[in-house]
Amino acid sequence: MIKQRIREVMWTEKYRPKTLDEIVNQEEIVERLKRFVKEKSMPHCLFAGPPGTGKTTAAIALAMDLFGEDYHKNFLELNASDERGIDVVRTIVKEFARTVSMGNVPFKILVLDEADNMTADAQQALRRTMEMYTSTCRFILACNYYTKIIEPIQSRCALFRFMPLKPEDVKARVRYICNMEEVDITEDGMEALIYIGNGDLRKIINTLQAAAALSKKVDENSVLKVAGRISPRELREALEKALNGDFSGARNKIMNLMFEYGLSGLDIIKQLHREVIILDIDEKLKLKIIEILGETEYRILEGGTDDIQLNTMIAKIALLGENR
Amino acid sequence: MNKLPWVDRFKPKTLQEIVGNYNAASELLEWVKSYLAGKADKKAALLYGPPGNGKTLSTHLVAEALDLELIEMNASDFRTEEVINEIAGGASLQTSLFGKRGKLILFDEIDGISGKEDKGGISAIINIINKSRYPVVLIANNPWDSRLKQLREISHMIKFNRIRSPSIVVRLRRIAQLVGVNAEEGALKRIAEAANGDLRAAINDFQMLAEGKKILRESDVIKLYQRSQELEIFEVMKGIFSANTILRAKMVAESSAVDIDMLMQWLNENIPNQYTNSEERAEAYDWFSKADVFLNKAKRKQIWDLISYAIELAVGGAALAKKESYKFTKYSFPKAIERLSHDKEERDRRKEELKLLGRELHASMKKVITEYLPYINIIYSKET
Repeated sequence: MIKQRIREVMWTEKYRPKTLDEIVNQEEIVERLKRFVKEKSMPHCLFAGPPGTGKTTAAIALAMDLFGEDYHKNFLELNASDERGIDVVRTIVKEFARTVSMGNVPFKILVLDEADNMTADAQQALRRTMEMYTSTCRFILACNYYTKIIEPIQSRCALFRFMPLKPEDVKARVRYICNMEEVDITEDGMEALIYIGNGDLRKIINTLQAAAALSKKVDENSVLKVAGRISPRELREALEKALNGDFSGARNKIMNLMFEYGLSGLDIIKQLHREVIILDIDEKLKLKIIEILGETEYRILEGGTDDIQLNTMIAKIALLGENR
Repeated sequence: MNKLPWVDRFKPKTLQEIVGNYNAASELLEWVKSYLAGKADKKAALLYGPPGNGKTLSTHLVAEALDLELIEMNASDFRTEEVINEIAGGASLQTSLFGKRGKLILFDEIDGISGKEDKGGISAIINIINKSRYPVVLIANNPWDSRLKQLREISHMIKFNRIRSPSIVVRLRRIAQLVGVNAEEGALKRIAEAANGDLRAAINDFQMLAEGKKILRESDVIKLYQRSQELEIFEVMKGIFSANTILRAKMVAESSAVDIDMLMQWLNENIPNQYTNSEERAEAYDWFSKADVFLNKAKRKQIWDLISYAIELAVGGAALAKKESYKFTKYSFPKAIERLSHDKEERDRRKEELKLLGRELHASMKKVITEYLPYINIIYSKET
């Protein structure tokens, strides 16, 4: 992977708004954030909303508008799902927050992404950390579901609810990018993008770029082709093996994915779920697979062990495949 | 009058007197000899098998035979790293004070080392094995515990079998002569069979029944309770999968020393081995996965009453999923745990790469994998 270039190559980065003014949707949110910039004052914030609706982008743009050149010294992004354990967060936060900010803004900003992946205990500890460094540091917690954030933190934060992007906003953005990149997009290509993207701009732009890489003209055909290829190859193969009754083959593929990429059982199920919907099989069969996936997810949420529950899922799918 | 328990009083004094596992004892002797000659395949020997079949005794007698000083540690010692390093680590590096030819280091009951109490115990043993100038003997009843994996890999494994009951009877008759008890043949046979391969248990039972008596009759023995035996894990699997009732399967599970977590791992691994038919496999797994949910609920919320449901669903489901009669199956060790250590370097390298990408893309590793990599693959495959 050529990581030096990834920032320039990936359109999601290349066209990520650098200031609040560039953000075309989420008007109310942008307006409130602009006020923070003007006053040079802000509370802790909770950015909640589905993927690809601009939470991270808004946080970065806010920081850039606030800090200007000193952006890098005063802004830190952490990821709750990568930086395991509250101790890590606490140490990093302490390092970052205990020194005063550079420039003329009296605080620094720390973004904690995917905060709803933290356990309730870790959140309790985070709450104390937030209180301790409130004078020098503001926290922006980004999450998909704010209900998964404990109430004491919710009550200390201003809540911003990000909505899925409206089709006309998506269209405007896609047109803009196509223009800049000199890509031809057909009307049915645009419709397909909007359908598959479901308000997730990251997914839409990634799909657009991949479709443009596949064919000169982005049309319904090339968009669907990308959609059919996006899930990790191993996962699709695993599903196919399971449906062909190859239990251990499917199991090995899934175990590999879990160990090599550190995916949890829930991650696997969610990916499979996406995959099933677009799979080229009988619709009734899909329904039965969806039932199995739902049951598996339910049992894991009830406390089941990943390994055991996934094996059960594979065994059931294999049985389905045999009876079809 | 000798007050020692008969087990100790009539202990063999030489290797030749050993009953039952003579071959295993000889193998140990040969291994220690080859170690001393600098020709051993491994740095340690791991003796394993059910209790009371001569593992510790053989080690003592081998040391005796080769004129080695035995440095012994067993489960009652504190096996913190500190203590181990002080006793065995020191001993293994110095020559013997007693003018013996050398030393033999013995770690008894290593499967009794628990993670919490003996912090670093296993790694300290490994450390000693690696540093030691003297042969190290390890003893375990169940060497297949995942925590012992590393020890298994660096050890010469020697299996000690259950002692066959005719051999036990021979031994008991000899003791009967020495203490002057007139024992009926049937009595000794029953004692031997009840002991199920554990000579120590047999001698203890014999003493309990016969001490102070002139005559021991078979009828005295019939009352003797069939000792609950620790079935080895493979036998447990076989017992569960071959059972035709929930009760039978549950009895097999509970009569073993295998704890519930280990049992779950083994069933998870072996349901697909036992059931290659999709229908049977799916049914066994469905019950099993419900058991898993109950079990974890029980542990997390400390509702211990739930555990018996969990066990019945797990083993009952595994037993009753079969549509035909039980098929002989080769069972295997749980893979999941071993996989974790597999290719760690490769995984770490990948992780580092993902982290870098994540920083560039303002995303977690997980997000990079699910939201970016698939697209990046398409985009780059086009470019190159």
